[in-house]
Amino acid sequence: MASANPDQLKLARNLNSKGILFGIARLANSSRAFVGSSDFKVYEVDLTDVKAEPKELGAHNSYVTSVAVADKTIISGSYDGRLIWWDAEKRSQIRAVDAHGKWIRRVLATPDGKVAISVADDMKCRLWDVESGKMLRELSGHKAETPHHFPSMLYACAVSADGKYVATGDKVGHVVVWDVATGKELATVETPVMYTWDPMQRRHSIGGIRSLAFSADGKQLAVGGMGKVGNIDHLEGKARVEVFDWQKGERTHEFPGDKFSGLVQQLTFHPDGEWLLGAGGANDGFLQFFNLKDKKVLRQEKVAMHVHGFALNEESDTIYAVGHGKIMVYEMKA
Amino acid sequence: MAGQRRGFFCGSLDHSLSRRGFLGAAAAGAATFATDMTALNVLQQPAFASELKKQQKRVILLWLAGGSSQLETWDPKPGAATGGPFRAIQTAVPGVQISELMPKMAQRMKHTCIVRSLNTKDGDHGGGAKLMMRGRRDEANVQYPDLGAVLAREMGRVDSQVPDYVSFYFATEGRGFAPGSSGFLGARYAPMELTQSMIPENIRRLADINDLDHAERADLRDLLSKQFTQGRVNSTTSSHNEAYQRVRGLMSSEKLFDISQEPQKMRDLYGPTQFGEQVLAARRLIEAGVPFVRVARAWWDSHGQNFETHQEMVPELDHVMATLLDDLEQRGLLEHTLVVTLAEFGRTPGINASLGRDHFASAWSATLSGCGIKGGAVYGKSDPTGNRVVDGQVGAAELFATIYRALGISPTKNYYVGSRPVPLTEPGTKAIDAVLA
Repeated sequence: MASANPDQLKLARNLNSKGILFGIARLANSSRAFVGSSDFKVYEVDLTDVKAEPKELGAHNSYVTSVAVADKTIISGSYDGRLIWWDAEKRSQIRAVDAHGKWIRRVLATPDGKVAISVADDMKCRLWDVESGKMLRELSGHKAETPHHFPSMLYACAVSADGKYVATGDKVGHVVVWDVATGKELATVETPVMYTWDPMQRRHSIGGIRSLAFSADGKQLAVGGMGKVGNIDHLEGKARVEVFDWQKGERTHEFPGDKFSGLVQQLTFHPDGEWLLGAGGANDGFLQFFNLKDKKVLRQEKVAMHVHGFALNEESDTIYAVGHGKIMVYEMKA
Repeated sequence: MAGQRRGFFCGSLDHSLSRRGFLGAAAAGAATFATDMTALNVLQQPAFASELKKQQKRVILLWLAGGSSQLETWDPKPGAATGGPFRAIQTAVPGVQISELMPKMAQRMKHTCIVRSLNTKDGDHGGGAKLMMRGRRDEANVQYPDLGAVLAREMGRVDSQVPDYVSFYFATEGRGFAPGSSGFLGARYAPMELTQSMIPENIRRLADINDLDHAERADLRDLLSKQFTQGRVNSTTSSHNEAYQRVRGLMSSEKLFDISQEPQKMRDLYGPTQFGEQVLAARRLIEAGVPFVRVARAWWDSHGQNFETHQEMVPELDHVMATLLDDLEQRGLLEHTLVVTLAEFGRTPGINASLGRDHFASAWSATLSGCGIKGGAVYGKSDPTGNRVVDGQVGAAELFATIYRALGISPTKNYYVGSRPVPLTEPGTKAIDAVLA
């Protein structure tokens, strides 16, 4: 896996798309990817062809906030509270499920492609059998209200590589790690700095945990968001990442951010643990590589759009980042 | 009787009013609404309340400071590129839809009209706030009174012992953009501005001054003032003196502001947020005869994360406003009370790179509920993307004329600045008849 070298990071190409793209998922070992858009639609895109028009799979009734690939099945989640299963080969809808009572924020699939995971602002995490579409389990424990009596939100989730653990993170900085087999809460960690409540000037809040990722061995849990914000009219807090040994309940790394402001919208560990990649933004975006071994920032790169999500190729040397109206392809081949 | 006594502010039967005594006074036109806190207790008795209510009109302005988004509240555009993620929901009024973030108001639209065609041409916080608080722009030599000051003048009583104009604005952001202003009407109609405490500060008599001393000091001040003003009669000195004359009445109104006087059940209905508590206080105030209360809910200026901000703040507005309308209706006060939602502007249909919306004054919305309003009406129309008004364009002046008309006040009524007649709204302004009952 030494093919990826963040020092070699460069923009390879832009692919135009429709609307604001919030999520992307690749079909393994192919140039095919699926994106969710603010025009309510799910599209297939060819990541190698800059001239190819996105192919529409179908539509939700609101923003499509996340897309997951489970083997040959695509699952999209939306602010409309629905999960839609799509057949990647036929580009047709398999089923739609009224999955949550509020806005779905993230959808994932376990690495074996058998279970889908969704989180939503009803503060539930639900596990779904990909084959049948039946709900397997509900993970419930995040508080519905913030300490200031406003609705909380459940923005982020992650699943470990072995599919045993699911982590969920909410607006006020509370993270829960769940046992997938039993549905029991195994551990909690807190990142209160990622939630800013302004009691005096503007009297509302901003922030929240926007991204989570397990290391390949499942022992480390990375949490992404934004540090404390002065003027909450804007995303002006520093992009922030914390890493925990969640089983011990210890924070092992803190990257408070120096160069970029905004939310860390997605995190991914390199399969060999060489680095942790975070992406996000405010008006503009960023890519950040962290060396956990040395507790240093390896590289930070400005991106000309707020990055709402990204996917890596199998070699982890190409990043497909999505945002406002385009897909930006970055390469970092050794 | 225990329940009735619980409503007395001091708990003393000495402050209760007899039915005969009250109705007699009402018939004489001498005490047709609350003159002190005992009135709130009286209002709990339906027969008395009806006598009070038919005389007095009141306004509660919910000032959505910073500029709430019309697209996430009163004028949703679901499916448009500018529409954002939230759906529109059907209201109790056939054909009228509002944002899904407002399910409680959707059920109460029979009380509310929406004006969806405001083009106020000022996307600056300061300029927009002054314009929408005053209904017009100041002139070089004329500072206009804001809505609260005008209504204090028009609906307050000369000898009122409650404040005429109360403004709650606790958040610091934007407070300086639109301070309450009585303009040329003078200090008599300036607001009692509450910025830190729900209960007015410095309203109590100092502990080391007894009541007799206080009264005698007032008499001395009055004597000196009269001597000073002899031969110097002008609006400034008379306004100054009128303000002092009301001091002792205002000092006794402290408990009006104290929501702990409300049953816990009522407090629970409004909810635990600061906005909810202030709106409950506003209801107490207007119930006791305060003609105008502004409750500012700041700060809606969602340049980044517009949808997250509105997911947080709109449900609060929805809940508190719906609770207020229910409360007013159950007390028989809604038909006499106009509830206004207004801001300095709305927000851009275009969604910026931070998923925010910016300042936008070209096609935005306000609402009027209750007194004098044709509930369920929708006036004006923005285009399918929300970028411009395509029907019924109105500005601040028309909105203010409509408010005045709803309250039975002629918008063409003149004040005088020196010898110059100044109408309440700019000459030629037409109220929006379509939303008036």
